[in-house]
Amino acid sequence: MPVVNVDPDELRELTDQRDKSEDDLLDDMFGLGLEFEGETEDGDLKVEFEPDRLDWLSIEGIARALRYYYGEDRGVAIPSTNDPEWTIEVEETPEQRPYVTGAVVRDVDLSDGVLESILQLQEKLHATMGRGRAKGAIGIHDMTMLKGAPAKDGAEKSIRYTSMSPDERFVPLESDEEMTPAEVLDAHHMGSDYADLVAGMDRYPAIYDDIGLFSFPPVINGRRTEVTEDSRDLLIEMTGTDQWTVDHMLNIVCYALSARGGRLERVEISYDEDAPGEYAGHTLDRPDLATKTKTVTHDRIETVLGVGFDEETIVDCAERSGLDVRVEENYEFEIPPYRVDVLHPVDVIDDIGRVYGFNELGPRYPDVATVGTRHERSRLEDAVRETLVGLGFEDLLNFYMTNERENFERLGVEPGTDVVGGGEPVTIIEPYSEAYTMLRTWALPSVMQVLENNTHRSYPQHLAEIGLAACVDESENTNVAEHRTVSLAMADPEASYEDVRARLQALTGRFDAELETPATEHPSFIPGRCAAVVIDGESVGVVGEVHPEVIVGHDIEVPVVAAEFRLDALQ
Amino acid sequence: MQLPETQVAVLRAADAQSQRDVTDIASEVGEQPQAVARAAFELEERGLVDLGERTEAEVTLTGEGEDYAADGLPELALYEAALAAGAAEEPVSLGRLIGEAGLDGDAVDIALANFARKGYGTVDSGDVTVDADADLESDAELQALETLAAGDAVDDEAVLDQLDRRGLIDRDERTVRSVTLTGDGVTALMEGVEAAETVDRLTPELLTSGEWETVEFTDYNVEADADDIEPGRKHALREMADRVKDVLVGMGFQEMQGPTVDADFWIHDCLFMPQDHPARTHWDRFAIENPGKIDDVPDDIVDRVKTAHSDGVGEDGEGYHSPWDEDFARQLALRGHTTSLTARHLAGEALGDLEPPQRFFSVEKAYRNDELDATHLLEFFQIEGWVMAEELSVRDLMGTFTEFYEQFGITDLEFKPTYNPYTEPSFELFGRHPETGELIEIGNSGIFRPEMLEPLEVDCDVMAWGLALERLMMLATGAEDIRDVHGTLVDLEYLRTEEVIY
Repeated sequence: MPVVNVDPDELRELTDQRDKSEDDLLDDMFGLGLEFEGETEDGDLKVEFEPDRLDWLSIEGIARALRYYYGEDRGVAIPSTNDPEWTIEVEETPEQRPYVTGAVVRDVDLSDGVLESILQLQEKLHATMGRGRAKGAIGIHDMTMLKGAPAKDGAEKSIRYTSMSPDERFVPLESDEEMTPAEVLDAHHMGSDYADLVAGMDRYPAIYDDIGLFSFPPVINGRRTEVTEDSRDLLIEMTGTDQWTVDHMLNIVCYALSARGGRLERVEISYDEDAPGEYAGHTLDRPDLATKTKTVTHDRIETVLGVGFDEETIVDCAERSGLDVRVEENYEFEIPPYRVDVLHPVDVIDDIGRVYGFNELGPRYPDVATVGTRHERSRLEDAVRETLVGLGFEDLLNFYMTNERENFERLGVEPGTDVVGGGEPVTIIEPYSEAYTMLRTWALPSVMQVLENNTHRSYPQHLAEIGLAACVDESENTNVAEHRTVSLAMADPEASYEDVRARLQALTGRFDAELETPATEHPSFIPGRCAAVVIDGESVGVVGEVHPEVIVGHDIEVPVVAAEFRLDALQ
Repeated sequence: MQLPETQVAVLRAADAQSQRDVTDIASEVGEQPQAVARAAFELEERGLVDLGERTEAEVTLTGEGEDYAADGLPELALYEAALAAGAAEEPVSLGRLIGEAGLDGDAVDIALANFARKGYGTVDSGDVTVDADADLESDAELQALETLAAGDAVDDEAVLDQLDRRGLIDRDERTVRSVTLTGDGVTALMEGVEAAETVDRLTPELLTSGEWETVEFTDYNVEADADDIEPGRKHALREMADRVKDVLVGMGFQEMQGPTVDADFWIHDCLFMPQDHPARTHWDRFAIENPGKIDDVPDDIVDRVKTAHSDGVGEDGEGYHSPWDEDFARQLALRGHTTSLTARHLAGEALGDLEPPQRFFSVEKAYRNDELDATHLLEFFQIEGWVMAEELSVRDLMGTFTEFYEQFGITDLEFKPTYNPYTEPSFELFGRHPETGELIEIGNSGIFRPEMLEPLEVDCDVMAWGLALERLMMLATGAEDIRDVHGTLVDLEYLRTEEVIY
């Protein structure tokens, strides 16, 4: 979840709540969904929230939410914007990264921690909405270092979002020498982290002004246009794989800079006729600070929140969420352009609930009558488990995930053979750990592992598990056959085949099932002391004395007799 | 007359003219005093003896007292060491003597205090001088300790008080019982008494023959521990799961079952999770390599889910600005939550179309590629519950959870608004820890979004919540580390001895 560091004094100042105690401030924030997670070394508050409210990714955004909550501001505020002076020409861009947006912000004072706050916002937006810069990446540049080229359509100044050859040269941030993009990806300490994002491109994304290359999105900016605390006029550009996403990341940044006194100036985005993506031949005017509307009925608000409201309360709560309301037949809510989380009218009802205070509503047990029942399969599983416990078995709970060595090799079983446990394994893509590479095809290997890990505990050890096992099966819709399997093992100096046969008998007898055990062979068991478990005429498992090689292979020094069969055979 | 053997012995040892103490008789007949006392009571009931009772002061040595009786008093050790070091002539430093006297810890203070009290010498500014004429042989306290250790009595009250103050003896009163033969007892002896048989085990033959009435049962040591037995028992986490299932069935919930390996479509897409959501990246989940994909997902549901993702639902609805690919949706994975079961039930895939009202639950495993720590496992049990009704509010949701958590002693629920892609409003649930009183997160909940319900053709309200069973177990039992409860590293000792959950 995103965390933003907030200086409490700065927050009081930005919200005009100079007398508010820290506890009250934190309580109010909790109600809105902003959770206090502790303090930084510098005494800043670490504030955590869910990744839907990306407009809260900076102190400016959190202050805005609180100003609305306290009624210092009401309704939607749209910062004014000046007419565009600059154009971003878009041509010959890489197909994988076709979209760009931008804005100019003038007269912003970046001293006293403001620059730091904006850089924090940039990084957090990259991590969330920008999907690690893949979907959207932000570049902020000092305008005094840019020289606009004359634009095609006669506008005064332009920069160009295009592509470049891997041999192009420029001086990247935090470097003193010219490097090629390929060198940046290979050797630059900031560049190499993002090499994956441009892997497979013949030509890399690039932004040029009249002087030359100044940005290699989404990897790194050039050093020439680096922003410092003394920068006053900024050019913000964002490139990505989706126009809506970069436009809305831009809106969030523009609102934050506007809250710091910056004047917004629009930029024209001029897509070439042949530019890839869905805006070829179009010119966009950005930032786009238009609102959108969601219509909600009074009834629906009352249904979802469970209490009666008067119109005044709803309007008040909406305005204190930063929304405008027109009351007509229904409520028409205006959603400001920095809100990226409002997809449906129900999101507005949530806003109203937060400002009203969900905890004020009070619990009520729903007046709905239903009949509770257990699933038949789970009742069967429980009944078998109870019976096994009554027979003296310790009930185990092992993992579904395992690996080839434990599941097959150590039990002497070949995958893909026609024996119990020999099914084709369901395997995991690029496993995180060598221990978990597949789903177990049977449970006896897990039970043997428990025996192996408990040789220091007293014997006899009678263990049983009822759990899932799976193998590939093309007759299933998911191509995976999962079944509950019953596995028993008795590690006991006195144990012999008869002991496990006796318990199988007792178990099947209780479930009115007919047990037969015709002799069979299984690589995990001693030949001549191994039988198929046949229940009501169907072969569903195996029983026998575990082969000494398997026992010794698990560092066990007492005989082990075992059985494994499908739970559904007892149904 | 036939009497049990001990009673016969006691009767014969008793005297008509004088009282005999039970302890004397016990040593004479070679029985435990308790057995003799019990026999004497039984004989008194038969009218064969009279029992008398008096109290006697009893002095026993404490552990420390026994040590001193054996090894000597510390102050005497100090005296001897000092004398040997020449402290009769000129003062010797205490530090040196302590080592030589073999004193350490509390014994140093004890030696110094009593040394001075008894006038064996003086200690001044860490220097020790001794009185060469002190008579150690007649140290009354040592003599008294030795007398007591030999089992004899000490009469000198002043010395006993002193030993008591030093914590070297325990003074107690005990009841002494004594036996005198009655006239009937004398008569019985003259007529002759014989011992009935004693038996070790009660046998079927003793019961059927009626012999049990006259035999005497030998005493067992009933206080001793018996051999350990290891009964089978249900796994602790299963016990907790059963408890949860009981509560939910009691609240009218019906149990769900379904695939563990399922298509991402049912795990994520039906839940309105955008395909580029961070939880859907490789590192957070276990995607399946073989087999790769599900064969069929219902075309009509796929179309509606896809539209919900790209365009939203309803007049003002908006979708995500993320790519949506059916192939990606058909990939198989181990479910990261059991909400995939809910999706299959709501879609009518599990039990056919459902009409409100409904309540469903499951307590089944989910699989997440989390960092392993004391509270997170790759495989964990998720408690999933949902309610379907024509109209539901957040208050109904709060009421249901208040009721559920109260069953586990968790009260004072607070609802923190949160975000889930598939619910709105959404709440993290916080509750008061039953033991520490701390406010802790206990679950996640919400009302399903229209973007989830409409594609599944559910046209009423559904509210749902989820919680890790392990977390509830930690709260309910106070367990702090659940890592090795689940899995092959489990310690059998834990399974055998962990307190039962009910």
